[in-house]
Amino acid sequence: MNGVDGVKAAILLFVAAILEVSIFSQVHVLGGIPDVLLVTLVAVSLLRGSIFGAVGGFFGGLLVDTATLGTLGLTSLVLTIAGYWIGRYGETTGRDRAHAPFTSVAVVTVLYSFGLLIVHFVLGERAPAGSIARGLLPAIVMNLILTAPVYALTRRLLRPRVRGDYATEVQLLG
Amino acid sequence: MVRRTVLAVLVIGALALLTISFRSPTSGALHDVQGAGASALKPFQVAAERVARPFRDVYGYFSGLAHAKSENAKLKREVRQLRSTENQHVIAAQRLGELEKVVRFEQGPSFPKDFRSVTTTVISYPSAFTQEVTIAAGSSSGLHIGTPIMTADGLIGHVTNVTPGTAQVMLLTDPDSSVPARDISHGLVGQVHPGQGGTLILDRVAKALQPQKGDLVVTQGTVDSRYPDFYPYGLPIGEVQSVGTSDIASYLTVQLTPFAHFDSLDVVIALIPTKKR
Repeated sequence: MNGVDGVKAAILLFVAAILEVSIFSQVHVLGGIPDVLLVTLVAVSLLRGSIFGAVGGFFGGLLVDTATLGTLGLTSLVLTIAGYWIGRYGETTGRDRAHAPFTSVAVVTVLYSFGLLIVHFVLGERAPAGSIARGLLPAIVMNLILTAPVYALTRRLLRPRVRGDYATEVQLLG
Repeated sequence: MVRRTVLAVLVIGALALLTISFRSPTSGALHDVQGAGASALKPFQVAAERVARPFRDVYGYFSGLAHAKSENAKLKREVRQLRSTENQHVIAAQRLGELEKVVRFEQGPSFPKDFRSVTTTVISYPSAFTQEVTIAAGSSSGLHIGTPIMTADGLIGHVTNVTPGTAQVMLLTDPDSSVPARDISHGLVGQVHPGQGGTLILDRVAKALQPQKGDLVVTQGTVDSRYPDFYPYGLPIGEVQSVGTSDIASYLTVQLTPFAHFDSLDVVIALIPTKKR
């Protein structure tokens, strides 16, 4: 893990988390809320891999839970898994694909929403599945709108790695 | 291996935080740390909120505008629906009044003997070309050509064409209409024809007779059983409004004001004979 990249990613995720809790969480369109932190995490994870994704998710989730005085670890848990999963996708299948950020954002928005729903449900808290499901499509659309600028900015700060830096899925034997 | 280890550590860390935070959400060391972290983040949140405020205000303005527009459209729809409902109620009340009048007429002494009534409604109205209406009852209800049609106020005409479900009625205001009638106050008889401006004319009245304004004019009915009339005796037609004559005319011209309101026909009564004629 490159230290400079780590600092850049941390700043990005910090700003995204602050923006999310201060501004974007108030934007309700047809029941959906855009999640700039999630989109930034996807961009960081795709560009820097699963470890960056997992650590960034944990860090971003902790910021959100701290700032909102929510249950600590709740958002961290879901974002850690989301960041790791998107990072693995970036390291393997999605690394050269232009649509990877959009596909990842669309999929992870769904998984993140239901992941949070499940955790809340398991904890015995209010888990409004109906309203989450109704707001899902607008949230996906808004996150997809955010994806292009956020990914472009993240890509400027975190230059894509050269091909040899990527992890490989296939192990050659013999 | 490193990746999975990092993931496992982070997930366990998150679960540990979750467990501790969930167990003591408002107290404890972790809560204090969270409070300190929230205090540290607060300036950033406030700054972000202040930077975003103008944009949010603009968004709020347009969002409010859009909401107001959609609410306006919704309210307009509701007003239209309520107006429509109110109109239906007004129409229903009017029809109820007419039906009450019809019932009173049917049960009253002026209802002709040996007739039964079929109450129905007008479904098409006079045009610029014809003084005819269509009613929603036909031969299946016992109507036939010549059946007298009236409202609770008075006679309006007779059936000129009939189908099983509908019938065409020639109004007294049709130029071809001619009804034998009688002024029951003075016993004079004549023929009722359409006049000017929605009035009726009772003509062929002998000059020697002197009808008075306000005299009641009713149908003459059958005089000779060999030539039965469509109309039974005594159906109210109108009242005398004025009497005119000239030196060269052989008859009086009596202008009548019809009892029936030909411009607002709705509920009508068909008189069906109960005895074979």
